[in-house]
Amino acid sequence: MTTSETKHETPPRALNARRAVSWVLGLPPAYYVLAILIAVAPLVSATLINPNYWFVILKQSAPLGIAVLAQSLVMRVRSIDLSVSGVFAFAIYFASSGFLKNYPPYVTVLMPIVVGLAVGLVNGVLVAYVRASAVISTLSVSAILIGVVQYMSAGRAPGSTPSWLRVLTNGNIHGLSYSVIVWLGVTVLVSLAFRYLIVGRYFRAVGDNPRAAETTGIPLARTIFVSHTLAGFLTGIAALVQVSALAVGTIKPGFDTFMNALAATILGGVTFGVDRGGVAGPFVAVVAFSFLFAMLTVFGIQEPGKLIVQGGIIALAAIIYGARTGRV
Amino acid sequence: MNIVTNFLKVPYRAGAIVLSIGTLLVILIAAVITLPGFLAPENLSNLLAQSTVLVISALGQTFVILTGGLDVSVGSIISVTTTIMTLDLPEVVRVFLCIAVAVAFGLANGYGVARLNVHPIIMTLATMGIGQGLALIILPIPGGRVPDWLSASVAGSVGPVPNSLFWLIAASLAAAWLLYRRPFGLYLFASGGNDFNARMNGVPVERTVIKAYVLSALFACAAGMFLAGRLASGDPKGGATFGIESVTAAALGGVHLAGGIGSILGTVVGAAILGIVNNVMNLANVSAFLQSVVKGLLLLALVVSQRRKTIGL
Repeated sequence: MTTSETKHETPPRALNARRAVSWVLGLPPAYYVLAILIAVAPLVSATLINPNYWFVILKQSAPLGIAVLAQSLVMRVRSIDLSVSGVFAFAIYFASSGFLKNYPPYVTVLMPIVVGLAVGLVNGVLVAYVRASAVISTLSVSAILIGVVQYMSAGRAPGSTPSWLRVLTNGNIHGLSYSVIVWLGVTVLVSLAFRYLIVGRYFRAVGDNPRAAETTGIPLARTIFVSHTLAGFLTGIAALVQVSALAVGTIKPGFDTFMNALAATILGGVTFGVDRGGVAGPFVAVVAFSFLFAMLTVFGIQEPGKLIVQGGIIALAAIIYGARTGRV
Repeated sequence: MNIVTNFLKVPYRAGAIVLSIGTLLVILIAAVITLPGFLAPENLSNLLAQSTVLVISALGQTFVILTGGLDVSVGSIISVTTTIMTLDLPEVVRVFLCIAVAVAFGLANGYGVARLNVHPIIMTLATMGIGQGLALIILPIPGGRVPDWLSASVAGSVGPVPNSLFWLIAASLAAAWLLYRRPFGLYLFASGGNDFNARMNGVPVERTVIKAYVLSALFACAAGMFLAGRLASGDPKGGATFGIESVTAAALGGVHLAGGIGSILGTVVGAAILGIVNNVMNLANVSAFLQSVVKGLLLLALVVSQRRKTIGL
């Protein structure tokens, strides 16, 4: 009996079962974390399984969810964007400081997106064409943006955000906030772009092996430039959603935005050049993170505990993934 | 003497150090000409004290960057060290505890990166969160009291020479000795330059990477002790900015983030540029809020001038 015959005789049901197990084991850690949390939730508090509570969690997660989508775009091509905090600070300050109150409302809506796009373009040029380090160049851009905001505000908190803009977060369709619908829409669009457009294949090829991609004719620099530009555009949308979620502006949106975005991207199965989570992975990761923090709050765990849990989860997810895929 | 000579050498693998030194000289000359108070002993002493934490942490960061990695947990280790030094324990125990915690963080980072194949940014980001949480648990708000000898060793002076200069020189010489006088230094350049070739030539790459992270954590621990001595108290978020600033200082000194290229002198120069720019802007009454913009532009200008072969991180 030859080996091929032995293989041929393997029952299809056993093969399917093996494939299913392999598929489940190949899922990004975010899915496991979310499944565990959902399983444990009823034991912790009845509130945690209330559908309305989930709508609130989704609403609170929307800005981070879109920022994660942006971060995952650049991480797919082995780059990084540390300018998220800068774009958020800039957009929130200009929307809440009254600078735009004499302009039509669409200017306030477009401002964060234009800022994000401009930052994305600058990052793209610096990283892809000038070949500057992505860590340093995007960090510098963020420092400049935050510095400009702090200088203009002289360290004082700005005013309140336009009340009409808050409809983006507070308005809803059957309980689902408009901001969540924007998040879902953007996620679907990016997913479709990856599935049907050539740029998706370019991203995957560059992330997998940049040198091989370039040798086979894929425009390496242009692909990385596009990823940064798109990431900037999406970060701008995330900043707009964040502005709509705030009643009062702030000049310190915090390093947490970037930290959480990076953590959720990794948990969602997208790391430097590794794209096993697709677009759904980071989405699930954001929900899992928000749910986890909500649960920790129920347990009375404060900021230090949350930081330790967050760090532990990132490390564990990365180690499990590293062991399975060879490199995270 | 050899250590000092090697410290001053500018080999090809030191990167764009000449550009960094040139930048430092231009800033120094401009400061001396335009700001009369710049060379005042009080200002120089203040400048040294302000820059020492950054120099020490950046020196440790250099070992990691030379391997092609990045250690963003440096800031958390500094914070944890300052909080441990305020614990109600015998002073020797506090010091040993600081070292033990730093070694544990370094080993976790190194093992995760070298053996478990986790990307350096991801691994050290995770330990950064854990370290920050730990610091906040030990000391929720700034305060406490550090041993008197620590405050005295930082704030005092020997004649006209401030003690901070001794900390700075000791850390620089220790780093130079490790990098230029030990096989470890050679292994570090080899591992960062091309880890495959290094492995083929018998370099223990994984062990070298783990050692680099442990050293980075130990230098961060020393920086934390200096900061605790300077503040005479603990601060759970006192080191937060140094994780990124230490990378910035190294990059300003011509250390390539891709690994394999850099120098101790370059890192010291990079940290000095950051420290002097801050000091000059303070003396010139430039808004503290504009300093972030100026530093960002300076960093961008220097990084743009160092075109690399690779695209990405």
